[in-house]
Amino acid sequence: MSNFLRLSWHCARVFAAHYRHAPLQAGGILLGVVLAVTLLVGVRATNDNAIRSYSESTELLSQRATGLLLAQQGDLDETWYFKLRQSQLQTPLAVVTGVLENSQGQRWEMHGSDLVAAMSQRQVSDTNKNSDGKQAQAPVNFNQLPLNRLLSGEPLLLMSQSLAKRAAPNGTLQLKQHDIRVLSVNDDLGLGNNIVADISFAQTLLGKTGRLSYIALFDPHPQLETLLQQALGEGYDQHLRLIKQDQGEALTALTQSFHLNLNAMSLLAFIVGLFIAYNGVRYSLLKRQTLLVKLLQQGVTRQALMAGLLTELLALVILGSCVGFVTGLQLSQWLQPLVALTLEQLYGAQLLPGQFQWRWLFQAIVLTLVAAGLACIPLYLQLSRQPLARSATRVALQSSAERQNRRLFILATVLLGCAAILLPFSNHYKQSLLLMGLVIVAIPMLLPLALQYSCQLLAKWSQTIRLSIEQRNLLHYSIAETRELIAPLSLAMMAMLLALCANIAMNTLVSSFDITLRQWLDNRLHADVYFRPALSDFPKLKQDFERHPQVNGIFEQWNARISFRDQPTNITTQDEYSLRNTTVLKEHLDDFWPAYLAGESILISEPLAIKQGINMGDKVAWDDVTGRWYQDLKPQMSKHIANGQNNTPRPLTVAGVFFDYGNPLGEIMIAEPLWHQLGHQAYLKSIAITTTADFTPLVEAVQAQYNLSSANVYSQGKIKDQAMKMFAKTFSITSVLNSLTLLVAAIGLFSAVVMLTQSRQAPLARLYALGVTRRQIRISVFGQMLLIIGLSAFVAIPTGYALSYLLIHKVTLQAFGWSIPMVWSWMECMKLMLIALATGTIAVSLPLYWQTRRPLVASLQQEAM
Amino acid sequence: MPRNVMKRLQLTTSIGLVSLVSACSPQQQTRDEGKLSILSQQQQGFATVSPQANLSFPRDHQAHEDYKVEWWYLTANLTTDSGEPLGLQWTQFRIALGTPFPPNEADLNPSQEYNTNLASEPAANSWQTQQLYMAHAAVTQPKQHVAAEKWSRGHPQIAGVSSTPLTIQLDNWRWQSQSEALFPATLEVQDQAFAYQLQLDSQSPLQLQGDAGYSIKTANGKVASYYYSQPFIDISGTMTLNGNTQKVHGKGWLDREWSSQFLTRSQQGWDWFALRLNDGSALMLFQLRGEKVFYSGRRMYADGRGENISHGDIMMQVRQWHETDQGRYPVNWRIAIASQNIDVTIEPLNVNSAMPLSTQYWEGPIEVRGSHQGNGYMELTGYEK
Repeated sequence: MSNFLRLSWHCARVFAAHYRHAPLQAGGILLGVVLAVTLLVGVRATNDNAIRSYSESTELLSQRATGLLLAQQGDLDETWYFKLRQSQLQTPLAVVTGVLENSQGQRWEMHGSDLVAAMSQRQVSDTNKNSDGKQAQAPVNFNQLPLNRLLSGEPLLLMSQSLAKRAAPNGTLQLKQHDIRVLSVNDDLGLGNNIVADISFAQTLLGKTGRLSYIALFDPHPQLETLLQQALGEGYDQHLRLIKQDQGEALTALTQSFHLNLNAMSLLAFIVGLFIAYNGVRYSLLKRQTLLVKLLQQGVTRQALMAGLLTELLALVILGSCVGFVTGLQLSQWLQPLVALTLEQLYGAQLLPGQFQWRWLFQAIVLTLVAAGLACIPLYLQLSRQPLARSATRVALQSSAERQNRRLFILATVLLGCAAILLPFSNHYKQSLLLMGLVIVAIPMLLPLALQYSCQLLAKWSQTIRLSIEQRNLLHYSIAETRELIAPLSLAMMAMLLALCANIAMNTLVSSFDITLRQWLDNRLHADVYFRPALSDFPKLKQDFERHPQVNGIFEQWNARISFRDQPTNITTQDEYSLRNTTVLKEHLDDFWPAYLAGESILISEPLAIKQGINMGDKVAWDDVTGRWYQDLKPQMSKHIANGQNNTPRPLTVAGVFFDYGNPLGEIMIAEPLWHQLGHQAYLKSIAITTTADFTPLVEAVQAQYNLSSANVYSQGKIKDQAMKMFAKTFSITSVLNSLTLLVAAIGLFSAVVMLTQSRQAPLARLYALGVTRRQIRISVFGQMLLIIGLSAFVAIPTGYALSYLLIHKVTLQAFGWSIPMVWSWMECMKLMLIALATGTIAVSLPLYWQTRRPLVASLQQEAM
Repeated sequence: MPRNVMKRLQLTTSIGLVSLVSACSPQQQTRDEGKLSILSQQQQGFATVSPQANLSFPRDHQAHEDYKVEWWYLTANLTTDSGEPLGLQWTQFRIALGTPFPPNEADLNPSQEYNTNLASEPAANSWQTQQLYMAHAAVTQPKQHVAAEKWSRGHPQIAGVSSTPLTIQLDNWRWQSQSEALFPATLEVQDQAFAYQLQLDSQSPLQLQGDAGYSIKTANGKVASYYYSQPFIDISGTMTLNGNTQKVHGKGWLDREWSSQFLTRSQQGWDWFALRLNDGSALMLFQLRGEKVFYSGRRMYADGRGENISHGDIMMQVRQWHETDQGRYPVNWRIAIASQNIDVTIEPLNVNSAMPLSTQYWEGPIEVRGSHQGNGYMELTGYEK
């Protein structure tokens, strides 16, 4: 045993010495591991932090609320808050929010709250937590804030340090044409990307004196609603509504597909990175083949040799993972603002400042080790088992490579076959994503054999063309050598192919969605201007519009939030004209309008239909008694009958499914008469008009008369603009990750080509010695590389197309419920090809340049070394 | 009276120094720096107490917003209908974060460059304030001690003191007099764990502590407060604890105190006693612990008579310590005042009467034995870990 250890240790030392002489080889492996772990940890940290934020999110500077009390419409009067403070409920929190624009038109959401109530809530809770020995958040100490200035109504905003650095580098923020002083507070206080002020200043700045946006309740009482009724009397039912808060589950569920996509992308990048590492390992083994044989000849046992190789791998993986962990955390720092923006825009989720966890490092090490082990051990075994007498000839390797390529091709075909058979049956985006993973794994496996056959074809073709003997020989030589290069380059090419496919697929998805969204918006937005007035102003505003000579069309849209199958869902109604002209239907029953307008059927959005598995013609129910919607009619009816209730739930037929993009919630559309019958606690979403002339003067007059801020008036152009901006933000994080993956692949290709050309200095020098000119050598080498890269890129086109198809028609459709017609862009494809070719060119030029600067003899000697 | 002093020290660690350090960025200050600065710093802009007290009622029942700290402090030794003894505490503190808004001055905004109409009128927005309120309430029985705390900004609808009739309120904790005078009044406190509704009345004149209400806290008289008490309050009402509501009755003690000036760094903490003796008299005593211990006291009678007890007459001796999660407290005492022929021992009703609130101290009912019998309240501070 001790002999084994001693020999293993010697082997490890010999390998370490080898790497000291050839640091590029160690660098190649490390680079792969570092890049893989960087992307894995970067995205992992970003995702975990976001998910942690959902479960730990609190009222700003305070605690997690158990419920939010809102007005039925718009803002609520602050006297409700005073009444609650007199009640036995645990101290509630008054909050006023609003959106303000700075001079550059940037929008800022401002939160104003009663800071003393907010922070004392946190103190009470912390005292409780201390008694259990647990403390989730840093307690707010009143000393941390200049309460005297904040409470006195002084214009002062609070921001987290990280936001203040970006948004108010000089300590002030301009809002409503005033420079307002910004106080940056420690990120630990959890302000995230919010601007916070005391209510005394916030009400004034937002023009909401005496008004509140909502009241946060902290009372854990199970019958919160009863307590509220006791405290507020009849007014509660008439004017207010309670939204109970969960522990972040709803948000986690809502954002699940978003995070899964990120995770999938990071795994892809991880695999690409591992390809580079594996390529590095293979290359270094190739270079050490003689050394390994020598070691075996000197009496080192095969087990000891294997142990030495594994120790080397372990050391490289741990070192690479540690570096990757650090760079991954840095990457996450850059990604977080992007993710925060996306989550905030799309789902209204607030992110807390990031915290790193050591387990990410351990997970990365284990994952990398397992992956590297699986990839390298067969290689190690193969090499450590080679016969002692056998000289390490390329031919042997070549033939084994060909065998392996064939095996890979067969495996890939099997995987693709499985995916093709199973995909039609997958109903959930997770299943589809898994099957897509199979396709992604299979695609690069096809490559080596495909390249080999292409070279064979090329060799045959080269026989047919007429050239001088010298040129023909050189061409034949080059093509023959290209076939030999496929094996060492194939891994880098596989990684490149993977990255190219993923990029093509993602770009196709994004551009297809872009076009779809634009068309949808064009259809949807028919009016010139949309207003969101206070509900009390609505009747008068409508009357004004009716009388106005320039207004030739008035359209209303009403909204309410309901719970449908325990998911928050929008229910909405529109006037008949808007409905008929702006609803883009995916499918509908024949002649459904009469029944729909009579309130006997409903329309549902595509996301709702897909996510809840509702089909056209299905029946859903509205229960007049409980005031709830049900998807399944029968159990509800039998329950009613069992309870002896006469009035059964009202059955409604799903008459059609309409397209709805960019709305994370499902939507049910019903006709106006039914809307009035159901009596939902609605709020006016918008009143829109079309005009016969320029609408600017009219809009200005309405804004002045009804005290409407510009945030509540949207022209058609503004809505489109904002929707497209939001769309761009939604995909910004994925496109960043995509570019990173491509970058990793490019680095991998670069390092592989550099190493390969480096190792080919001797044969190239031999060619030169035989009289081939430098120019011919250069053309030949460039030609070989570009041929391999070009062929790989060519393979990326059909495979990229296939991936795009899956991504659009399976994963996105199932995850988001958006059906998108696929739009293929050749331009994008060409762009990616060019990037790949450019990388290859640069990677080849560098070692060639080095070579021309070395004496011929030195290059020739490389063989002996 | 040390209660004042103690509270001030406690407040320094939690909120009192907010206004003093507000010029610094929040990251610059630490708790310790804040504590030291508050102890050594003069309260710029606030009114100071002077020996010419000239207290006047009902005016001085109201808040004195030009002074930094103030409180209305009730303790009560009660008995349930079933004969079980219990103690109740209710305190409302006022802390000024800055000097009050100057009347009739349009621009009260400290940042002068911001002279827009956003914050241009004094109290244009009812939320604007310089006053912070904190209230503590506790119920102590031999086997149970529960305490609660509330915070609020000064706001006419939520927390503050108003005059006709006298109301001292923070949320649903409320002292409500029938007139501008302190008594008769009701006191209501409701919390998740306990609640009480009390009727309070007193026929005795108010007792002015120290020199006609000017009460010194250090031997050299540099630190002082305005301080008056009502040690003779009749109380009846109901108390709910653990879901059981019981009728209670007994005696209460009210302290009123306000000041702006704080203590020297050498003072570590305070021990304060409010004793009701079986001869009908009441005794207020405190010691301020530091390099030199400072004692003060007053013997009071229901007819309004009273006698100050000088520093040298008072002897206090700890007989027993008690370890709690919060700190180690001297819960058992011997107190002797030769000039008053008093030599008594003090024992708590419940040794575990530490207040686990954002401001920590020990406060609970006590029993008096020895030359005199009786009961009262004890407050111990500066022992926290």
